[in-house]
Amino acid sequence: MENQFEVKQDGTILNIVLGNELTTVNAPLLMDELNKYRDKGIERVVFDASKLTYIASSGVRVIVFAKQKLGGDPDIVFVNCQKDIYEIFELIGVQDYIEFVEK
Amino acid sequence: MRWLHFQPIAGRTPDILDAIMGSPEVAESGRVAKIIRLVCEELVVNVVNYAYPDGVDGYLDVNIDRDDRAITIQLRDGGVKFNPLERDMPDTTTPLKDRPIGGLGIFITIKKMDDVRYEYVNNENVITIKKNLSNET
Repeated sequence: MENQFEVKQDGTILNIVLGNELTTVNAPLLMDELNKYRDKGIERVVFDASKLTYIASSGVRVIVFAKQKLGGDPDIVFVNCQKDIYEIFELIGVQDYIEFVEK
Repeated sequence: MRWLHFQPIAGRTPDILDAIMGSPEVAESGRVAKIIRLVCEELVVNVVNYAYPDGVDGYLDVNIDRDDRAITIQLRDGGVKFNPLERDMPDTTTPLKDRPIGGLGIFITIKKMDDVRYEYVNNENVITIKKNLSNET
């Protein structure tokens, strides 16, 4: 499912595999899903963005939500973040708060 | 000049975006198309979700114009008077854990476009965005 996502908890790590797009349509659904992991001891939120080619501001809000609302100020990690997506992070000034990993 | 009329608009953000992106003026504008999509998504979702009270059969008109130098898109709705440009812009230097969660859409719009204007004319909110084709990023 191209524009969907998978969320799985592995101990203190929350792994999120993103689809091709994070839009105003599916970002609120992801935020609802993340809401289920509030105060579950999450220390690290890992977004696999290997397929992600488009992110709307509502997608960035999901990242802010993960940082602020899950509890415990978790680290935010983006795996295989593409240039267009990184440019949006830069524009909004969130890139310094995200750990970028290439795999 | 292309004119697109949408009514009803409730729940139709993806359809409206598809129609804008499918217009030749946008579809054939290269890398700019992706930026146009990003900005139009922010503006369209604002109209669809907030312009009209529940139960009101609202409309959205979109005019798209392109010449050699720029692409200009104007969105008009007859909903509640609202100037998104008056909204406080997010402080992008605030640490992420303290950052307010809203206001990013209009911030992206202003940063990515070369000109953004708002008017309230004949009981319509009119927002006009312009992107120069020679300045693609």
